[in-house]
Amino acid sequence: MIAKIICYTLNGLDGVPVEVETDVNKGIPAYEMVGLPDTAVKESKERVRSALKNSGLLFPLHKITVNFAPADIKKEGAAFDLAIAISLLKASEQLIGADVSGTVFLGELALNGDLRPVNGLLPILISAKGHGYSKFVIPQANAKEARYLGGAQIYAAKSLAQAVKHLRGEEIISPLQTAEFAVNANAKRSAADLAFVKGQPMARRALEIAVSGGHNLLMVGPPGTGKTMLARCLPTVMPDLTFDEALEITKIHSVAGTLGEEGIVCERPFRTPHHTATTVSMCGGGNKAVHPGEISLAHGGVLFLDELPEYKRSTLEALRQPLEDGVITIARSAGVVTYPARFMLCASMNPCPCGNYGSAELTCTCSPADIRRYRARVSGPLLDRIDLQVEVDSIGYDELTSTKQAENSASVKERVDGARGVQRERFRNSAVSTNAEMGERELREFCVLSEECDGVLRGAFEKMKLSARARARIIKVARTIADLDRSEDILPKHVYEAVSYRIYDKLG
Amino acid sequence: MVYSAEEKALIGLSADGELDERERIALLRAAQNPANLFAEEKNIFRSVIKEGKDGVYNIDGAEFLRRTEAFLLKLERAGYFAVTLVSEDYPAALKQIPSPPLVLYGAGNRNLLKMRKFCIVGSRITPPWAEKQTKELSRALSQSFAIVTGFAEGGDLAAIEGALSGGNLICVLPLGLNGCYPAGHASVKERVRKNGLLLSEYPPDELLKKYNFHARNRILAGLAEGTLVVSARAKKSGALITANYAAEYGKDVFAFPYNLGSAQGSGCNELIKQGAYLVTEAQDILSCYGIKGAEKKQVVLTPSEEKVLNLLRESGEAHAAAIAERAGIPLYEALAVFSSLELKSLAVKTGGNRYSAL
Repeated sequence: MIAKIICYTLNGLDGVPVEVETDVNKGIPAYEMVGLPDTAVKESKERVRSALKNSGLLFPLHKITVNFAPADIKKEGAAFDLAIAISLLKASEQLIGADVSGTVFLGELALNGDLRPVNGLLPILISAKGHGYSKFVIPQANAKEARYLGGAQIYAAKSLAQAVKHLRGEEIISPLQTAEFAVNANAKRSAADLAFVKGQPMARRALEIAVSGGHNLLMVGPPGTGKTMLARCLPTVMPDLTFDEALEITKIHSVAGTLGEEGIVCERPFRTPHHTATTVSMCGGGNKAVHPGEISLAHGGVLFLDELPEYKRSTLEALRQPLEDGVITIARSAGVVTYPARFMLCASMNPCPCGNYGSAELTCTCSPADIRRYRARVSGPLLDRIDLQVEVDSIGYDELTSTKQAENSASVKERVDGARGVQRERFRNSAVSTNAEMGERELREFCVLSEECDGVLRGAFEKMKLSARARARIIKVARTIADLDRSEDILPKHVYEAVSYRIYDKLG
Repeated sequence: MVYSAEEKALIGLSADGELDERERIALLRAAQNPANLFAEEKNIFRSVIKEGKDGVYNIDGAEFLRRTEAFLLKLERAGYFAVTLVSEDYPAALKQIPSPPLVLYGAGNRNLLKMRKFCIVGSRITPPWAEKQTKELSRALSQSFAIVTGFAEGGDLAAIEGALSGGNLICVLPLGLNGCYPAGHASVKERVRKNGLLLSEYPPDELLKKYNFHARNRILAGLAEGTLVVSARAKKSGALITANYAAEYGKDVFAFPYNLGSAQGSGCNELIKQGAYLVTEAQDILSCYGIKGAEKKQVVLTPSEEKVLNLLRESGEAHAAAIAERAGIPLYEALAVFSSLELKSLAVKTGGNRYSAL
């Protein structure tokens, strides 16, 4: 008898249905798998054999053929175990009467028959629901993540035995309750708050503008002045995630297997890859499966690159295209995958190798050639894409120990939310959502400059020898500053302030 | 370019790498008129240069003429010109120094040689504020003077950047015009050649030697009516050597004042102690030469700009937040004001979010 069971594999964030067909024939006992399974899938043979035995079920002593269809895509991972086991049971007539035709089975088996969680479950469920499937059997450990999929019957089983009992109608598992998405359910956990950052009025302002308009931010300052601390505060002032955003971010983290306890990402990601990171770990890729990289894991949140010049040049250059497009397309022999990568880039660096360049108290001991070499490690085109460049002050001891309470994240966030609201209203009919994402069309429509503003910009353009891209970026920042100011038009003071955040153009 | 016989002879002597300075002088003495070096019958070369060089340097007037003509052709093709001690536009000031170069090779605007000249030098490690001040000052001075400077990073480069747009700029190189030191300044060199003037006392192919810097500095000091040192360490500073030459030649020496204990400016303070003029703005230098600086363009300032600028002038270099607090305006508005002052060249950002008035 032939049994057909539906399972899913992933291509990027998209689930692809795979039919697991099992045929049990009379003949010399054998167990064959065909249809382009990878090593982990082939190894499932032994897991399934043991799991069946240890769940009190029979492993048929016949000639067994398992086929994965369509045969031309590569099947990876251990998520097929449950589907193979169920199809074996069905084919060997151990599940008579159970209707399994419209159900999707996902899960990895342990030798004792327990079900283990699989990566990428949420994107699979979402795709499968889109394909018209509404019944799922999944591992209990994935239940938290699956709860957020509404409109489907999802059964979470602890073990193969429990799943079989459920299918036979002996012990029905109740379907999962759809969970309500709660924003910032775990916000308390975050230890960073702007209230703990001493001084740094300029950097605070730049940070507020950056978050309000979704701009990229570069902080330049001596070592140990709080650059990292400021960056860690970024998620605390960013707008709350919407359910759709959370779902999209969760999909990526689910594929990468970095999903936390909650089963859904309800805080904006804050990724800090070390500067030894390779281009592949940053952008995504991999040998067999194409894994999402740091930039995709930072989607919807912050990618923080501490000590920017220490990163490999090729790695930094690879960021340029995703910074513009918000997605990254990775081509590998295994296939072409597109992952979303719309993140806010926050970087920090020292002004020179010794760190004291421009300091009031300390003397810089670097030669101009040293400084140039150090700065040249960050290419001009990359700097061009960083709208806000701000210097972080060195802090005196008095300032450090002062008990003067600085403004906390919550009140900054209120202003940010206000500015974001203005932008939402502005872009309600267009594809972009923040000022930083504006293209040429939006710039023309929403950033009309008065003659006076144009004059200011012209002066800056000539004096600072700006690139065309830098000009557009200044206008975008000015738009955000005007939004924070609740001003309909961009005024000269907004342009002036925007210009002051391009310190690297001035140094050049 | 047409050169007289005297000029040709001087150029020929200078181009000949086999000769040293003493031999050149001896040859010129023996020839009485440089043009006689080409004379067939006298054969001055053999009579002057005797021992040691017989095998190597044994030419007659005709051969010397042939070599010189070939060199001039090369010079012409490269687009360079040569100014000799007997040329009409050889800078008069340079003739006054003890060992003036026989020939100056140049590329660019030759007319700058006739202008009044002022020298600005600084060490390679110049603090950012001094670089900015130098740039502005060089710009202001270049309206009355051709700015003479070296070609190094730091102070020299700031002077170049200030004067380059106006074009009144002379850079004296420590090696032949074909070379570039530091190598990374090739593009700067091209810009100077286009807008200003490059000078060197060495034939175009001459490579850099350690002692060339010293010799070049005497030309810097000699060309100019006065020398401003924008930064210099107390020891082993090229800028100080230039200043010493200037003092030796009886020219004015100026210097920026520095904080006590600042290593980058200890040489400047030392100069001031010895009697150099202290400079804080372009007018300090201009009034020494009886020049009234160009009337500062009347810039229309908003009340808050006026307020911030006055506060900046009062307090000197100050942090943006401190000025904003004293002016009683929010920091972000002050940032806009600073930015606008900066674009109007009334203030500069000096690093670490501090600003200073100009």
